[in-house]
Amino acid sequence: MLEVKNLVKAFGGLVANGDISFELQEGEVLGLIGPNGAGKSTLFNCIAGYYKPTAGKILFEGKDIAGWPPHLVTREGIARTFQGMKIMPNLTVEENVMIGAFCRTNERQVAKKEAREILNLMGLTEFGKELPSGLPISVQKRIELARAIATKPKLLMLDELAAGLNPLETKEIIRTLQRFKEERKLTLFLTEHVMEFIMTISERVIVMAAGKKIAEGRPEEVARQDKVVEAYLGERYAKGR
Amino acid sequence: MGQLLTDIFFFNDRPRFERVGFLIFILIILIFPWIVTSAYGRAVAIKFLLFALFGLGWNLIGGYGGQVDLGQAKNVGFGAYATALMIVWWKVPFWLTIIPGMIIAAAESFAIAYPMFRLKGHYFAIATLCVALVWKELFIFWDWTGGARGVEIPIRSGADFVYMQFNSPIYYHYFIFFLFLLQFFFMNWFRKSKLGYAVQAVRDNEEAAASLGINVYRTKVVNYTITGGLGALGGSFMAVYYLYIDPDAVMPLDLSILIAMTVMVGGAGSIWGPIIGAAILIPLDMYLGAWLGAQKRLGIDFMVYAVIMMVIAAKEPRGIWGIIERKIKKETR
Repeated sequence: MLEVKNLVKAFGGLVANGDISFELQEGEVLGLIGPNGAGKSTLFNCIAGYYKPTAGKILFEGKDIAGWPPHLVTREGIARTFQGMKIMPNLTVEENVMIGAFCRTNERQVAKKEAREILNLMGLTEFGKELPSGLPISVQKRIELARAIATKPKLLMLDELAAGLNPLETKEIIRTLQRFKEERKLTLFLTEHVMEFIMTISERVIVMAAGKKIAEGRPEEVARQDKVVEAYLGERYAKGR
Repeated sequence: MGQLLTDIFFFNDRPRFERVGFLIFILIILIFPWIVTSAYGRAVAIKFLLFALFGLGWNLIGGYGGQVDLGQAKNVGFGAYATALMIVWWKVPFWLTIIPGMIIAAAESFAIAYPMFRLKGHYFAIATLCVALVWKELFIFWDWTGGARGVEIPIRSGADFVYMQFNSPIYYHYFIFFLFLLQFFFMNWFRKSKLGYAVQAVRDNEEAAASLGINVYRTKVVNYTITGGLGALGGSFMAVYYLYIDPDAVMPLDLSILIAMTVMVGGAGSIWGPIIGAAILIPLDMYLGAWLGAQKRLGIDFMVYAVIMMVIAAKEPRGIWGIIERKIKKETR
């Protein structure tokens, strides 16, 4: 479904993504992990159209979308959430989700119905008429998720969805996410600091460090590799095991 | 079709007190010229409706779009000149001059939108201000526009519905009220439309808007273009109401600022804001004009506006409407 080939993104002399290649199958859940500054967000932003890759290809269902502006990437079927939440503060929760739904329709009634349905499935109906700014983080995270899902994506990219959530809330959002994945046949690509989250939900993970892909495989296998432990905890710890 | 009409004429999504308030407002405007018989009072009412009309249009870019545009006077000028010149040159009936005026203003806005939206925030505001000032100077400089002498529309006798010239201000009152309602119902449709939501999404967060499939740049350009066209509507009215226009009357900086002020004071980004703002600022403006007389030229009225602006910006960025809404919410809780 998604194939990234030799992707390079450099900011001046700093190479944030050096020669990254990987594939993502339809219906799969792929996790992306790595220490701070590994280039995870840069990779996300390249795929979603916020950064223009310096070199390389991003094939989505056979089309090279590298360098496309974000709104076209979304219309093509890739939705995303943001690490720091970006909810429209002056619009109600329902309107926020409606704007996502407007991606696939011109009719307000259709968008409204779609938004209400998603809010209902998210358990957010009670907040529909409220402004998002006063709501707790766990609710705001779900609004972001609802809004991205409302654009009817095939591939959903989640940037640090569990950041700022307590373990209970994390479990809840995993459950919601899995239900939407089943019902809407979503493919998921996510990055996360919360290991518990990514290890539970991912079928396969990619590990990045210092702008390079250093490992790929099933979560429990990857976590044991020396290179990965080294990237997270330093050389000494990896050798001492 | 039925849905479209509902979207235009109904306010089902708004609380009851707003709908009742709007009905009372319509009633007051309808009976106003029969209660207030002084020429001055009627003139204030007409100017109020005119600025409420301007405010509604400017609210598109300034309120829903969140872009401070300080050049709306140029669009007013395009409308006024299109109407005046077409009547003087070719004797075109007034009603046929409205659309060309709006098209000219919209086309100009569309043409300059490309460089304009490379700028953001204060820089955008300064650019709009400069463009409007350049147009004003050009209209003074050119001969075909009548230069600084302006354009005079020949006076006709009696009530003339083709050129909209009347002896009694009552006609003008209902005429501007009609134009106001046209624009008001357009705005009522707009705020609920896909474009309206896109504009608000872009105002609140450009990156998030783009992630939801909205073409940020195109949305800004379309919004700016429509705002331009709407500004010209009031300009056309000014031409036949004053029967004499010059660049100082229809394109000055004061006008741009007063239009922006009505919306900001009343409440930017709300459909009632421009009406409330105009209801406060226009009587104040007329009063200051009468009180200060010739000193108005010194800019004392600007100082008064500046103080109001600072208080609003510091205390309640959502304007008077923001205060009202908060009060009502507290009471119903």
